[in-house]
Amino acid sequence: MKNSLPRTTEPLTHQCGDECSEFSRREGPQSHGSKSVVLGLPVSLRVNGEPYELLIPPWRTLLEVLRENLCLTGTKRSCQEGQCGACTVLLDGKPINSCLYLAVEAQGKEILTIEGLSRSTGGLHPVQKAFVEKGAIQCGFCTPGLVLATVALLDQNPNPSEDEIRKAVVGHLCRCTGYVQIVEAILGAAGEMAVEGRG
Amino acid sequence: MSYLRRLPKFEYLAPRTIGEVCALLAGHADEARLLGGGTDLVLQMRRREIAPRYIIGLKGVTELACVREEAGGSVIIGAMTTIEAIMSSPVIRKRYGILAETAAEIGSPEIRQVATIGGNLAGALPCADFPPALMVLGAKLKLQSQQGERMVPLEDFFLRFERTAARRDELLTEIHLAAPSPFSGGVYLNFHDRHSMDMTTTGVAAFITTDTERRSFRDVKIALGSSAPVPLRAKKAESALRGRDFSEEVLEETASLVCAEADPRDSWRASKAFRLELIKTLTKRAIDGAWKKALASSNGRNA
Repeated sequence: MKNSLPRTTEPLTHQCGDECSEFSRREGPQSHGSKSVVLGLPVSLRVNGEPYELLIPPWRTLLEVLRENLCLTGTKRSCQEGQCGACTVLLDGKPINSCLYLAVEAQGKEILTIEGLSRSTGGLHPVQKAFVEKGAIQCGFCTPGLVLATVALLDQNPNPSEDEIRKAVVGHLCRCTGYVQIVEAILGAAGEMAVEGRG
Repeated sequence: MSYLRRLPKFEYLAPRTIGEVCALLAGHADEARLLGGGTDLVLQMRRREIAPRYIIGLKGVTELACVREEAGGSVIIGAMTTIEAIMSSPVIRKRYGILAETAAEIGSPEIRQVATIGGNLAGALPCADFPPALMVLGAKLKLQSQQGERMVPLEDFFLRFERTAARRDELLTEIHLAAPSPFSGGVYLNFHDRHSMDMTTTGVAAFITTDTERRSFRDVKIALGSSAPVPLRAKKAESALRGRDFSEEVLEETASLVCAEADPRDSWRASKAFRLELIKTLTKRAIDGAWKKALASSNGRNA
């Protein structure tokens, strides 16, 4: 099965059970040059519906773990300051900036990335279709984050006004489209999903 | 800033209760930092402004995330309550509209989902939006440590830039709000260059209680953000306004008094002179807005 094994990029020796809430008391971060250093905390995540058991150093962000350990590179790294929204994922259905979230703090959470959005249907999600049809994608770098923010918005508010849409995506920078097509796409997706819901 | 900007290494401690947090703080006070939502701390660590040896993660301390209505009509907000939770809390929307409105102005939905009210206060940044809004509501903070607990009025909490009255071993656990009095209303207004996702250049909060005839100011509270090294109350202007009848001239006079109490700085974001102009204008608008809210309130449940 794809992505079902924990993959790590760093040597891991920390093997205690679930009751361990502390990263090694013996070795401080100052001594990480030595070989016997403990480097990971056990973390269970569900990403796009699949369970993962990982050993993660506590200073790794959720963004780094998604991209580098799970190879889910649809989540983009850009400003790393919570300003651009390119790294947005849904944590228990709510949008967050994964660059500001420690992976160890996502213990037990359900994470949805752009890779998982259309997995159930096989085709594109209605929001993705609307982005394609309205020309809301040019270089595509901001798209995964914007699509997930839109999914979260429409989940809360299936019929948003233009003002509500603009407020919902304030945390996303797009340097290509000038936002007009993005707002049109979100309006279009809301309409399309309402029709589907009725049908 | 380097291109990759990974976080410096640290040990992560995950307490589950306030007692455990206090014990960890007592043991590691000088080498530990508390991690709430992380929207400020993670940035400071990435920029290598700080590199603490221990990070005490508070997300697992569930008793810190709450909005609780007390018997006497007061409300207690846990320090780890997210901005989003404050924005959508029915109790806060009904009783302290000024807080829900302030929350809606902060950051993006992604930031509001994780950033906390405790972090907004304990960071002690002059540009934070919650301090002025909470100050005019007369908020008190509960600080807990292994030595015990104490209550500190919010207006005495900020000492200087990034420094608060909380000792190293103390944890901010709760924000206490008294029940709003009848015929009252509050407004917080802030100015930034962009519509959103921007630091506040200057913010002014006003909370007004009218007399029963609804002609004069029975009680007034005015607080400023980004107008001095710390958020502050404009107490001289408040006492000058108390008891006066509402009029345009009174607003004008009060705004000048507020400017005299402010001590804004020159920065690339705005000059001192421009900030003073902003304080004057925002003060008039905030008092006017709070006055209208107070008139509209039927029973004082509309702050």
